[in-house]
Amino acid sequence: MITLFAFLILFYSQGNILQVKNQWLRPGAKGMGTALYFEVENPTDKPDTLYKITSDISSMIQLHETYAKDELMGMREVGEFVIEPESSLELKPGGYHIMVMKLKRDIKKSDEIEFKLHFKNAGSIIIRAKVK
Amino acid sequence: MKLFIYSITVSAVLILIGCQSEFPLNKDLTKQNYNFFNQDSVEISFPGINLGRITVIGFIYTHCPDICPMTTHNMFLTDQRLNKDGIENVNFVLLTFDPDRDYPSMLKKFAQIRDIEFDNWSLLWNTKQNTNPLLKRLDILAIPTDSSYTDNGELNYYVMHTDRISLIDQKGHLRKNYMGSTVNLDELYNDIKTLGKY
Ligand SMILES: [Cu+2]
Repeated sequence: MITLFAFLILFYSQGNILQVKNQWLRPGAKGMGTALYFEVENPTDKPDTLYKITSDISSMIQLHETYAKDELMGMREVGEFVIEPESSLELKPGGYHIMVMKLKRDIKKSDEIEFKLHFKNAGSIIIRAKVK
Repeated sequence: MKLFIYSITVSAVLILIGCQSEFPLNKDLTKQNYNFFNQDSVEISFPGINLGRITVIGFIYTHCPDICPMTTHNMFLTDQRLNKDGIENVNFVLLTFDPDRDYPSMLKKFAQIRDIEFDNWSLLWNTKQNTNPLLKRLDILAIPTDSSYTDNGELNYYVMHTDRISLIDQKGHLRKNYMGSTVNLDELYNDIKTLGKY
């Protein structure tokens, strides 16, 4: 009975907290930049906002989007990402991305890099993203 | 007889249309010689050094985290696929349109960290003044945006640019353009095979 209760709590809470998944980033050389991608799922009934990302790998990390203008591609900083209630946000190549500038060291394929994602409601979530 | 002439005409037109849609361009790039430095800072002439082989060229800047790595990756995948088929004499070239920040040594690192081998790849650099004529000839635009200074006073900017991979034939003629980051890999691969008669 206690096990079932615990399981139910676990099940309930898992379904009801913000989740970050499918995180990955591209290789990058020291001093240059790269992009981090992931998905955020928000099963709660309140919107949440990702407003900052920090990591040992860089002290210049920004929330960005790629945009097309006529036949040109550009990118720009976005202040924050809002994840609406019961929906998800996908960062992917050619769209929203986390711009990681001036890498403090080389990051190579199959390395794993830690990032701390700061949300207004969910607080901070630590992820380990694989380089590929 | 009339029917015969008619069908000959129709098939000739169809063949012409077919050829045109496969390789819509035929722009001679050899009329002017463009000089660049490769990833080892060795001066080379373009397309001179690549003549006799097919060249796939992409346009990048190393501070670009999203679009340019996609373009580079698409070229890398195409090279791998050709290698698998035993086709090793296709040139892959990446040209920077941000020469004020991308030096040959940086281009070399950009490639090395992506496991690019320099047997059939070159990364090209020259000053803006010397790069611009080729960019212009190939209709590549690159416009700096969002300039700002970092906390320690370094200039930071992005570049709004044409998203492009181009296919150049053995005679140094530009034959076809593709969207660099979203190119259909089968199309590029098949075009290379057609052009090279592999
Ligand atoms: Cu960006």
